[in-house]
Amino acid sequence: MADRKEVTRLEDLAYEMRKKLLNLCGHYEGAVHIGGDLSMTDLLIGLWHHGLNVNPKDLQMPTRDRFILSKGHGAVCMYIAMSLRGFFDYDEILRTYGKLDSKYGMHVCKVYLPGAECSSGSLGQGLAVAVGMAFSARQKKQTHRVFCMMGDGETCEGEIWEAVNTAASYHLGNLVGIVDKNNQLMSSMAGEAMSFEHYSDRWKSFGWNVVDIDGHDMNQIVDALDNLPKYNSNTPTVIVANTIKGKGVSFMEKVIGWHAGSLSKADMDKAIGEVEAAHAKARSGR
Amino acid sequence: MTTEKRTFNFGSFGSARSVVGSTVHELGQKHDNVWALAADTGGALSAFRKDFPDRFIDVGIAEQNCAGIAAGLALEGNIPFISGMIPFMTMRACEQVRTEICYQDLPVRMIGTGGGLTSGGGSTHNAMEDIAIMKSMVNMTVLSIGDPNMVRDILIQSISYPHPMFIRLAQGKQDRILYEPGTREFQIGKGLVAREGKDATIIAHGEMVFEGLEVAKTLAAESIDVRVVDMYSIDPVDKDLIAKAVKETKNILVWEDHLMEGGLASTVSDFFVDSGVYPKKFKRLGIPQAYAGFGSGPEQRKKYGYDKDAALAVMREMLKSPAPRRVS
Repeated sequence: MADRKEVTRLEDLAYEMRKKLLNLCGHYEGAVHIGGDLSMTDLLIGLWHHGLNVNPKDLQMPTRDRFILSKGHGAVCMYIAMSLRGFFDYDEILRTYGKLDSKYGMHVCKVYLPGAECSSGSLGQGLAVAVGMAFSARQKKQTHRVFCMMGDGETCEGEIWEAVNTAASYHLGNLVGIVDKNNQLMSSMAGEAMSFEHYSDRWKSFGWNVVDIDGHDMNQIVDALDNLPKYNSNTPTVIVANTIKGKGVSFMEKVIGWHAGSLSKADMDKAIGEVEAAHAKARSGR
Repeated sequence: MTTEKRTFNFGSFGSARSVVGSTVHELGQKHDNVWALAADTGGALSAFRKDFPDRFIDVGIAEQNCAGIAAGLALEGNIPFISGMIPFMTMRACEQVRTEICYQDLPVRMIGTGGGLTSGGGSTHNAMEDIAIMKSMVNMTVLSIGDPNMVRDILIQSISYPHPMFIRLAQGKQDRILYEPGTREFQIGKGLVAREGKDATIIAHGEMVFEGLEVAKTLAAESIDVRVVDMYSIDPVDKDLIAKAVKETKNILVWEDHLMEGGLASTVSDFFVDSGVYPKKFKRLGIPQAYAGFGSGPEQRKKYGYDKDAALAVMREMLKSPAPRRVS
């Protein structure tokens, strides 16, 4: 079982992060991919503040775990999760996000942003790169893991399944996929156009170790990360995290229009108010 | 065997694929960060596979995945060599090459066989757009190599070259040997004069360099003195060598086994326009806007009007008639 104090600490961080995301969404002039940011907020906090062996003071630490955000449109979510760990400055993110020459673009850009392992944004491509990194680590007898966060929508891409097959064929036990399974694509709900049925079984049938969790339950996130097979096991693992797009904001949850958008001042205040109320309720012991 | 002494015999056949196989193996021995990757096309890499199985990856028929994995390896400080067929590595995996490899400026080496219409496999397997596609990618270096021995020099140089590289081979199995090993210097960004001449220059790459030399030989008997430039480095291209050819020979033919639009001929004509260094006459020969069928390389070049006879006709015409007036 996950340590209660640790879970509380992470939940508090996720709460902070939701407020910071919504604040940015209310201040940035353009659209922010807020729906998918909110669905993976708890997962990214679990990763960057608990699961990943990383050091904000040493970005190139050879033993660090590698993290690739394959769903690159959630870049700002990763920036903020990392800023809460001391990698970046939130105020700088807020001030420069998406602007000319900013390190913090709409999609992750390694060229501009030291600390990002890999540029991303074109969907379905991150897992193959992670597979390459996992091959390298194993051959060099390194003990870190390679993590790759995907959206469920991008797993419609064929290249994902090419990489899934390769990882299982070559027994890359140091590879960990996380699917933010929020059951929505940009323009359709899961099942409306493409089927996502038997989703975990698809991964299992390729030979992956599959861990199904509630991606908003920090206990389950921590448990999944604490109990990964050893880096030198024979089987890659995927954490299929069931999530809700827009999680925490009533008017965004499961609403197609909130794949990306910006918030008026009033809506921002309302959204932050809801997040604060939910957190206060949770902390009051109810 | 790279150390074997051979008698040099101009125009004899060698196999560029074998040279790739032995050289990548040799590099793998020297450098523990050299990897070899294939998408079910690793035959040439069998020695590497045998001796360095933990640095060899066959991903099956999955070129996009192959390019992505190569990017991941390169991000970790490795130098991956991908061997495969040109159309699939450049087109099926086009976006992965562009976004994972070129955008991040990673030292991945893509070595493709079947340049132009040499594959014999028809339009699915022909490589007629590859140079246009690859040279449009920022950070990508594009080379086209005919002489199999030259491949070795370039691959050895590639170890210290920090950018992505696409190496186009001709057929890969039956390739003409043009240069006596050790007598020429091959450098990324340079071309070389395969034959001196003062009346006109044929600028070619890959398999067409041999054809160009044959044409020059025939024309020499008619007292026409043709220079042949092997422009193996297409991007970056050797602008000085083009300018020198314009200045000294006035007339230019670019002859290539690639679409006439978008390949070396386009690079050369871009240079004319951008630099203001114009030839007296300029012609191009290559694949027209057509999806070619089946047959050998020479048969197809004849069918599509860019074989040796076509080049001879162009050169004779070019050197006979007066230059057209430029309309200002």
